[in-house]
Amino acid sequence: MAKLTPDELEKISKSNHEKSSNWIKVGMSTCGIAAGAGEIFDFLLEEVKKRNLQIEVKKCGCQGNCYAEPLVEVSVEGLPAVTYGKVNKEVATKIIEKHVIAKMLVNDYIYDSLT
Amino acid sequence: MNPELIKLVEEWKGKDGNLIMILHEIQNHHGYVPRELSLELSKMLDIPLARIYEVITFYNFFKLSPPGKHLIRICMGTACYLRGASLILEEMKNILGVQEGQTTKDGLFYLDVVRCLGCCGLAPVLMIDNKVYGKVKKSEIADILSKYIKEE
Amino acid sequence: MYEKTVLIKDTDLRREDKTRQAYTQFLDHLRQNDQHSRIQVVRVADVGLYDKGLVIKVLPDRITYANVQDRDLERIANSLCENKEAIKDLVYKPKVKQEKLALRNCGKIDPENINEYIACGGYLGLKRAIFELGAEKVIEEVKTGAIRGRGGAGYPTWLKWNFACKVSSEQKFVICNADEGDPGAYMDRSILEGDPHSVLEGLIVAAFAVGASRAYFYVRAEYPLAVERIEKAIKAAYDYGLLGKNILGSSFCLDAEIRLGAGAFVCGEETALISSIEGRRGTPHPRPPYPSIKGLWGKPTVINNVETLANIPQLISKGGKWFAQIGTETSKGTKVFAVTGKVKNSGLVEIAMGATLREIVVDLCGGTLSGGPIKAIQTGGPSGGVIPQELLDTPVDYENLQKLGSIMGSGGMIVMDEDDCMVDIPKFYLGFCVDESCGKCAPCRIGGFQMLNYLKKITEGRGELNDLIHLKRISYAMQKASLCGLGQTASNPVLSTLKYFENEYIEHIVNKRCPAGKCNHLITYKVIEDKCKRCGLCSTNCPVNAISGDKEKGYSIIQEKCIKCGRCFEVCKFKAIYKK
Repeated sequence: MAKLTPDELEKISKSNHEKSSNWIKVGMSTCGIAAGAGEIFDFLLEEVKKRNLQIEVKKCGCQGNCYAEPLVEVSVEGLPAVTYGKVNKEVATKIIEKHVIAKMLVNDYIYDSLT
Repeated sequence: MNPELIKLVEEWKGKDGNLIMILHEIQNHHGYVPRELSLELSKMLDIPLARIYEVITFYNFFKLSPPGKHLIRICMGTACYLRGASLILEEMKNILGVQEGQTTKDGLFYLDVVRCLGCCGLAPVLMIDNKVYGKVKKSEIADILSKYIKEE
Repeated sequence: MYEKTVLIKDTDLRREDKTRQAYTQFLDHLRQNDQHSRIQVVRVADVGLYDKGLVIKVLPDRITYANVQDRDLERIANSLCENKEAIKDLVYKPKVKQEKLALRNCGKIDPENINEYIACGGYLGLKRAIFELGAEKVIEEVKTGAIRGRGGAGYPTWLKWNFACKVSSEQKFVICNADEGDPGAYMDRSILEGDPHSVLEGLIVAAFAVGASRAYFYVRAEYPLAVERIEKAIKAAYDYGLLGKNILGSSFCLDAEIRLGAGAFVCGEETALISSIEGRRGTPHPRPPYPSIKGLWGKPTVINNVETLANIPQLISKGGKWFAQIGTETSKGTKVFAVTGKVKNSGLVEIAMGATLREIVVDLCGGTLSGGPIKAIQTGGPSGGVIPQELLDTPVDYENLQKLGSIMGSGGMIVMDEDDCMVDIPKFYLGFCVDESCGKCAPCRIGGFQMLNYLKKITEGRGELNDLIHLKRISYAMQKASLCGLGQTASNPVLSTLKYFENEYIEHIVNKRCPAGKCNHLITYKVIEDKCKRCGLCSTNCPVNAISGDKEKGYSIIQEKCIKCGRCFEVCKFKAIYKK
């Protein structure tokens, strides 16, 4: 990483950090990790690798819905991005099999706020 | 002189107000601040031992005696208090047979109470070493502790 | 792929959950019209609305229908099948919405990746500050934005910066106060863990504005993940030349490092924090001189809260006028609240100043856990007070909360219900203040201790009416004469509960009764004869043999022997022990 000039800063700011519309974000703040997000993150990474899926698994901070941790936001092309809450390994498996692979949202676990 | 301590002090030597950071590193390594190290530190930093002790005894974080293999911290923040943290504390005391600030006879657990770990959404919360347990029920405590006992 | 997505959730608390039924009905209708491969229907766990009946949301249009009756389901389904406009008489427009300024990137970006932060407009505020505005205009911008300190005191940020800027000194410091000590508050932790660069950028802008050459993060040792993420952020900033010499190629140079706290609540106070960074006991000092003039190592020092700094980058890049459009006349911008306690959906809420307590706690967070009424909401942590149910429609801002006898504080909002005792709560807070008092000044050291004793007396059934007079006198003395904010505000929970719940204190003192059933010494345990199955479990478990009887006669509790531990209540499988 080299020191940035103001123009280089502008350039990076205009780039799209979400290079693809296929990603999974796991909330990894202290409260998320306390609720088990660490294991879910590792599990999802493993499943994606095992099944050779073209989707990136990333970590992010706490969006505020702490009562519903672990939170996992999923974006797959052709479907709206949604946030799943209280995700355990069973739900994580459904996310992979139903949402990512079969392109259908999983019932009963979506937490959709007003914003 | 302690070679580790020398290295640590060298790292922090040029920086003003380094005492608390050095004490943190010592405690990270040993679990508490041993008196012998405080004595050596006083010589290395050229400050009176009393100054070191006045800092250690002011801050809740620093311990003067070995704390036991596993550090249990029960959060007594407002949210946890409202959601039954005192009952969790009582149950811990009953099972372990110690009061706050004490180590169990087998040296396995040290029981501490902290004011707010910042996980209020999961109240009541407790930490054992670096692992945070949320939404803890009184009935689960024996199970949680048994995992650490089994490891021995 | 699906053109539209329909989310369904029954939010009515009183009747049986109709989510599944509505889902099946809706799906059937789509199937009948052969639209089920164009429109997907999903049952969800939460729609962000509570007690608004059956809610249906349509994506990507973001149309929300609430209080949907059975007969309306078909109308909505039809309008989607036929691609019609939203059905106006069913559309629900929420009165209140979160507005994420400080939390703008939390949950969106990887906090450990500086490129993601920059791609969201990161460090453009710093660029504008250095190359377009210059130090004085930066302070002007902050003045126009009228942002006030988010740590609790609500002091105008521009004023602090201006004082420090005007002092000439060969060295100045800026400090980010990340010693979030209020129990029940974790807004700062979330910002530091979720978007550390926003705070770092704010701190660098502050340093530029006042002419500082060193910046510190003072972080609680109880926040190891936050410390780790700030460390990574600082390193990445150095790598990109956003810290160190000649930032972004300008003549501005700044070094930054972390200093850890060590478990002292009082170190959240500015002068105590400075003592702590100086490696000493964290005791406060009299002010004046204020830190902006003479602070860390005697040099001009600006100390700002995490949330205040997280707002600065956007305020600078979008301008003070933009920021000042949000909020109320005297309290601009948004505030992050940590809503916890007996609330259904405990979490962080960021909302424009001026939203009411009811909107925050009920509309956004679902109301109480039990579904019962809210007894009071406590704001401001140990320095704050309670706001009773009748006043929940108060718009939240610095002045309004003060008028009610509380404070905004750092943003902790604790929801209490009828099981929470309004004498026990101030006792809890006084216990905290007594533990955390540094001991330097007598009013706090002795006053706090005495107040706690009186509260213990009252909650243990030994209280007298005169105690209330003593409590008030000591409170006023502490307010006037304590050295720092800890002592000055320690009595707020007591004064506030006395103002709104004096009847509870009197009930404890005169009738030796705790209406909430919380104070152990004032609880009576009795066997409910018609529920008692005479199993004897309570008697076997009583640690002091205070339960006598047998299978034939039944059991009863000997009140004089009872130590009110509650074991019988816990072990009884038939709910046959009365506790009040």
